[in-house]
Amino acid sequence: MKKAHKKALSQFIAVAAMAGASSFALAADNIKIALAGPVTGPVAQYGDMQFTGAKMAIEQINAAGGVNGAQLEGVVFDDACDPKQAVAVANRIVNEEIQFVVGHLCSSSTQPASDIYEDEGILMVTAASTSPEITSRGYELVFRTIGLDSLQGPTAGKYIVEQVKPEKVAVIHDKQQYGEGIATAVRDVLIEGGIDVPVFEGITAGDKDFSALISKLRQSEVDFVYYGGYHPELGLILRQAAERGLDVGFMGPEGVGNSDISAIAGEASEGLLVTLPKAFDEDPKNAKLVEAFKAKNEDPSGPFVFPAYAAVQIIADGIKLAGSTDTEEVAEALRSNSFDTPTGVLSFDEKGDLKDFNFVVYEWHADATKTALTE
Amino acid sequence: MPESLFYFIQQLLNGLTVGSTYALIAIGYTMVYGIIGMINFAHGEVYMIGSYIAFTAIAALALFGIEFLPLLIIGAFIVSMIVTSAYGYSIERVAYRPLRGGNRLIPLISAIGMSIFLQNLVRLAQGSRDIAMPTLITGGVSIGPEDAFNANLSYMQMIIFAVTLITMTLLTLFITRSRMGRACRACAEDLKMTNLLGINTNGIIALTFVIGAALAAVAGVLLGMYYGVINPYIGFMAGLKAFTAAVLGGIGSIPGAVLGGLLLGVTEAMTAGYFSSEYKDVVAFSLLILVLLFRPSGILGRPEVEKV
Amino acid sequence: MMIQNLKPAVISAVVVVVLTGLLMGVRLEQLGTGLTVTGAGPDVYWKIAAAAAFMFFFNLFRDHLSALWKALPGMPKTPTTLSDAAEKPLVRRLFWCFLIAAALIWPFMANRGGTDLATLVLIYIMLGLGLNIVVGLAGLLDLGYVGFYAVGAYSYALLAMYFGVGFWTGLIAAGCMAALFGFLLGFPVLRLRGDYLAIVTLGFGEIIRILLNNMTWLTNGPNGIGGIPKPTLFGLEFSRRASEGMQSFHDFVGISYDSSHRVIFLYLLALLLVLITLFVINRLLRMPIGRAWEALREDEIACRSLGINPTAIKLNAFTIGATFAGFAGCFFAARQGFISPESFTFIESAIILAIVVLGGMGSQVGVILAAIIMTVLPEMAREFNEYRMLLFGLMMVLMMIWRPQGLLPMKRPHMELRT
Repeated sequence: MKKAHKKALSQFIAVAAMAGASSFALAADNIKIALAGPVTGPVAQYGDMQFTGAKMAIEQINAAGGVNGAQLEGVVFDDACDPKQAVAVANRIVNEEIQFVVGHLCSSSTQPASDIYEDEGILMVTAASTSPEITSRGYELVFRTIGLDSLQGPTAGKYIVEQVKPEKVAVIHDKQQYGEGIATAVRDVLIEGGIDVPVFEGITAGDKDFSALISKLRQSEVDFVYYGGYHPELGLILRQAAERGLDVGFMGPEGVGNSDISAIAGEASEGLLVTLPKAFDEDPKNAKLVEAFKAKNEDPSGPFVFPAYAAVQIIADGIKLAGSTDTEEVAEALRSNSFDTPTGVLSFDEKGDLKDFNFVVYEWHADATKTALTE
Repeated sequence: MPESLFYFIQQLLNGLTVGSTYALIAIGYTMVYGIIGMINFAHGEVYMIGSYIAFTAIAALALFGIEFLPLLIIGAFIVSMIVTSAYGYSIERVAYRPLRGGNRLIPLISAIGMSIFLQNLVRLAQGSRDIAMPTLITGGVSIGPEDAFNANLSYMQMIIFAVTLITMTLLTLFITRSRMGRACRACAEDLKMTNLLGINTNGIIALTFVIGAALAAVAGVLLGMYYGVINPYIGFMAGLKAFTAAVLGGIGSIPGAVLGGLLLGVTEAMTAGYFSSEYKDVVAFSLLILVLLFRPSGILGRPEVEKV
Repeated sequence: MMIQNLKPAVISAVVVVVLTGLLMGVRLEQLGTGLTVTGAGPDVYWKIAAAAAFMFFFNLFRDHLSALWKALPGMPKTPTTLSDAAEKPLVRRLFWCFLIAAALIWPFMANRGGTDLATLVLIYIMLGLGLNIVVGLAGLLDLGYVGFYAVGAYSYALLAMYFGVGFWTGLIAAGCMAALFGFLLGFPVLRLRGDYLAIVTLGFGEIIRILLNNMTWLTNGPNGIGGIPKPTLFGLEFSRRASEGMQSFHDFVGISYDSSHRVIFLYLLALLLVLITLFVINRLLRMPIGRAWEALREDEIACRSLGINPTAIKLNAFTIGATFAGFAGCFFAARQGFISPESFTFIESAIILAIVVLGGMGSQVGVILAAIIMTVLPEMAREFNEYRMLLFGLMMVLMMIWRPQGLLPMKRPHMELRT
């Protein structure tokens, strides 16, 4: 019965896999926090930011005596930013009876996973997913410590209407959840502000040639372009626009604001406007924390490091205030209090979003530095 | 002349440039197919590797203090062609030679496997981030009024267009006029018979793969310089589009590959220019399905007679 | 003998160095806004040197090696008595019963995570079995299979979103929609030769994905569709609080609520779908149409001369394959509760194809085994995930060279003339 033998073997492998997943279990006193996000896959570098911040918070809270006498323990789960694996991860978290989750990173992973968490009474705080959908479904145990796409869009839109004052604006996006969401919000604010938006169009992420689009922009005589998406495409658009004599201002969201855009676009990235969350690592208040990251040879500058730190901290503070680890009580404590974290004093609205989260408009320079234009 | 005419000319030029880039890669596909009747699915990845080697060569030469532009570019071409030739040769040895003569499906799957393998090899070796290089050849000419919309064409676009046409001509001459080319055509007709007549068919097939890979290197260097940005994933989409172009034009025919590439490029540019960029890939693939409906062997392809 | 091998040995060593030297031995680095190169480090150089040395000695001694290889006892073959036994219907039936029993017990033995993972495996088995009809049995290389999977998933999601349709109706609708798409695509393209078909189906898969992404007014575009209802059991819901006018399973049976019931139910449902799939395919295989699929794959010209209409047979295979993808898609949507176009990329097609290829084209046990390996392996070793696609690719090449018939090739029903 060779076949039966093989089946038995494969089942053994499956059992071994389960055993591997549950071998993290430690002393019962610990409060476990699942850190869910991409460890592998194309966006693993953003996952690292989240893990760096969360682990630092756990370490510092434990060093300061833990929470109600118990120590925090972080358990990392890898979803590779794949919705299908995110559901598997969520089920494993339920399995291990973990009550608190910091994650996930990609909105498309957070959304299906949060269905399971809400159902199972697990409290989830995401430090990176910015899609408005996530908190708009009336869930009680879902929170986030980062601003929404629908918040960043209006900030950018308002700045264009009030400061740049162009006549015709083209809004371009990359047909992905993040890019299209922000671009739609910007377009709505612009139209409300009485600005003509003759071009609103998606491109294909990963494309290399934007000559047809740029010719179209030249012909429609726009004097400003907003791009919703990430740096590789905007970098190429800037570069090709400069080569083809499309001389207009550009603006983009935080997804374009990293040093790679200057590498791709070179001189053409000078003067690009970018909305970014406040640079928490440059806040003098956080100098000690930044030192702690540097001492561990970790980079504190990523956009999700400090929100992830804050996510762990509010969970710990919430447990302290509620006096128990019952997630519904903790959620209640989170809604009715405000918390002093490295990302500022945070308080949450009914949906679980931050009551205020500020985006700052920066001007980008060709040497990958930036100067703040607003407070 | 009215502005809309210049706009049309501009989009036509854009489309022809993009089309030339497809054509340049498509020629490699079609050549291998014409001779052994197999699609080298990994061709797009060879193009990507060509781009990486070109960037490495240019950066390394610049590191040694060589700043003379033609020297940099020629250096990039030579190094890149040598390395991709080695890849073409190895792909043939590993993924094609052991499978020759069997079911058609088998080498195709093996080549898809090879393509996934190479893409991830480069990702692991060089990282998945974009690598960018400043523009080396700048400037261009414009046609039309100074103050209103004018069509412009960069020198780099002209070079790409010219290289595509030159390559096509040289290759056609090679196939039709040279001794080696005659041997290639003999292989395409009947592999066994050619072998019996004393021609080293293994050598000819290996040579086909090497030439195809060298062509991919030409495309890799030119397009790497034109766009200035590479990553391990560019080979897949470029390969897919070039493959589409080759099939559209009639796979196995070199002028067909160029025609297919240009047609595809212009279609995409016109869709993006007059309709929306969102739908350019949909229109491109629909065009392929439509053309194949009416001409199952592509525009210039020979209808294949099945042999028992 | 070694002297004549020296030249190819040197050549192969040099080729290895050329292949890897600049691509792996040197790293491109973005220095500020400029570009520079750095050496990859001594360990990479050692690896390159080792690979070159290996190729050199391998080619130098290849005659000795092949002699050694022949001297080795052949692949351990299953003793004839055993393989004869495996052929017997009774043994086969016992084996399948054992397999099904093991699968039935699994959710009650494993924990929630294990059951959920097994559900994912079952989805891939369903996809693998469906694609197996098209690629393995009918010999049509379909690179856009994920398109039908997407059609199935979105059919159910859209019907649930706009018309509040339940899972079971959705399942049938998803199967029908996918079949319709399979038929509509198959109709024009099946006249094309194998390699043309590959590119056209690939393009079709991309068209579906781009359309789903672009038609924001209908499909919510890249934001995806959330809140897709979970399956019910004869109208019983598996949730803590049953929705308006519904009854929940735990109330009905009179046990306390346990969320793992739903996971187990989903698993059993997937198992049922897989068993139905297996049953249907096995029946079809024994029917003239199944025989015609295989005949067509082996020799199209002979088929035509025997009066079989190749296009009609191919269209059948294509449509039936698509239907199973539709079922799998519908189930996937129900398990996820949320779908977006990014779940239906070409890589997904490639993974399903790899399952079919690894399993042995045409073999059903092989497909099941391959689906388990492909899904469980990356879960087991996350570090391995980095290398997963690399190994997929390598494996596809090696399988085609050494065992194009797969891990567990299908036993062809055959008859021998007795003299």
